[in-house]
Amino acid sequence: MDTLTFLIDRFDGTDSWRQRYEIPYKPGMTVLACLIHIKERLDPTLNFTASCRSAICGACAVRVNGHALLACDTMVDNLLRIWGEGALGVSPLGNARVVSDLVVAWEEKVERLRLARPGLDAKPEFSAQKGCRQAPADMQAIARQWDCILCGSCASECNKLTDSEKDFLEPFIFTHAARYAGDSRSAVPMRHVEAMLEHGLWKCVHCMECVTKCPKHIRPGEDIAAMRHMAVEAGHTDGPGPRHAEAFRTDLGATGRLNEVKLVPRTEGLVSAATKHLPFTLRMFAKGKLGVVEAARLFMADNPPVENIDGLRKVLAAERSPS
Amino acid sequence: MKYAFFPGCVLHAAAKEALSSTLAVAEKLGMELVEIPGWSCCGASHVQDVDPEAALVANARNLALAENMGLPVVTACSTCALMLRQARATLLAGAMGRANARLAEIGLRFTGASEVVHFLWLLADASEQWTRKVERPLDHLRVAPFYGCHTVRPPEIMGYESHLNPQSLERIIRACGATPVAIPERLRCCGFHAVFPAEHTAMRMTASAVTSAARAGADCLLTPCPLCHMQLDMYQPDALSAACGETPVPVLHLVQLVGQALGLTAKTMGLGRHIVDARPVLKAAAGSCG
Repeated sequence: MDTLTFLIDRFDGTDSWRQRYEIPYKPGMTVLACLIHIKERLDPTLNFTASCRSAICGACAVRVNGHALLACDTMVDNLLRIWGEGALGVSPLGNARVVSDLVVAWEEKVERLRLARPGLDAKPEFSAQKGCRQAPADMQAIARQWDCILCGSCASECNKLTDSEKDFLEPFIFTHAARYAGDSRSAVPMRHVEAMLEHGLWKCVHCMECVTKCPKHIRPGEDIAAMRHMAVEAGHTDGPGPRHAEAFRTDLGATGRLNEVKLVPRTEGLVSAATKHLPFTLRMFAKGKLGVVEAARLFMADNPPVENIDGLRKVLAAERSPS
Repeated sequence: MKYAFFPGCVLHAAAKEALSSTLAVAEKLGMELVEIPGWSCCGASHVQDVDPEAALVANARNLALAENMGLPVVTACSTCALMLRQARATLLAGAMGRANARLAEIGLRFTGASEVVHFLWLLADASEQWTRKVERPLDHLRVAPFYGCHTVRPPEIMGYESHLNPQSLERIIRACGATPVAIPERLRCCGFHAVFPAEHTAMRMTASAVTSAARAGADCLLTPCPLCHMQLDMYQPDALSAACGETPVPVLHLVQLVGQALGLTAKTMGLGRHIVDARPVLKAAAGSCG
């Protein structure tokens, strides 16, 4: 192929349009090299941000065909292998306010980042004289989270954030909270967890977009899970999120299998199960998804235990945290 | 080919139709699926939130049971596939010692011998072979593929195909004689795993996929994940009610589409068990549906 075609989303503060650019194809070009070529040779009005060209500043994250990536760290040849030789669509990061063309605003995201209470409040044994050292293993426990470059890729396709940012935060904010909550030097690890409990810790939909899109291989979804665990261990067990997860653990230890009939009452309570979810239940009965007799048996008793349930209970009990 | 079959909880409960369809399709294609004796829940992407070690050791046990059978593991649930593959990767990356210390107490040992694959991948790999066995080409059926998050993400764990532009479902749809219809929600979340703590979000996600499929002229949605199926089908009336009465769209399990093309009966495939009846569109596409 001789020519690369890009369809770039433009925005001048008032109007939005999609503009087509064609540049000569050369093997080994990054997306950023293409954007720079377009700006320098074809259209100086095209706006985008970039700085280090080394995947450490986080400034050049954009979306290609709807997927966030670092423009400086992405070879066009790899994208052509995935999508073929048609035009590549370039757009600004998702779940962000667009300032101009591919440039998104960070002011409000930084304000939201403050909700994680970032900053280390060290244990009293540390001081300016003694320092604030930690064992290598303790540092490694949070090393991955410290790699965050605030590029915004994790938030771009976050399915929960796309639906609503009013009751959820950008995944990198959960990662920032987790890096302080998991820091062995912290005097107040739960401060960060409890802050996240107030801002949607249990509302993550497990879409795995954040884990997939982070160019530094950080796993915000796992940070969310780790803080949920910390919250539960600290006694924050109320609410549909923790009760739902606990129902699965209960069934795992009781019979080895999920009891679908008890799941709703365990998660939302008997009243909700008998009223709000009644149309759903009747629908299940009507279509044979669930038999009435089977439902009664599961509600009154349980699934039969799996083969060698004693063995399963033994290994699970050994892993249970003391409570 | 013989596999250790991990059905997952839902195939023995709300998605029994996916169990009978999977077993019948496997038999048609000459695969032998042997259910792992004593398998337990994979944790369903929830148990790790309250007890990560329990989730890991339960799956170490599941994998050790399969290894005792001397067979690779196949599952027809995307979340089960992710949980089992994630656990296997974690065990092989260093957690094997502590898990095996526990498993030793019950005479089991995880070695990593059994790979875990999704039934989708087996169907996609063999599509050129089984397309010749198609008895009822679904020539007039327009199918909107809905992959489900855990089918493709995270790619380091799932990794069968590009997570940015997977094509396995499209390949299978074409092998059945049907036509894939792209919708923006193709790779998005159905909302299932947050249907209680983020109910409104989950319903809007479901409504969005269904609405897009209807507007794109698709006859049905297709998913390889029984949990996505539960959300898109069982919760569809609630989701569409919240979305002010959009057109319902039937949702097929992947194995039902393939089963329909291969000539399985509607009874075998449990087509009467759907909340949104899929039989009319299948009948229109291929004459009788058995």
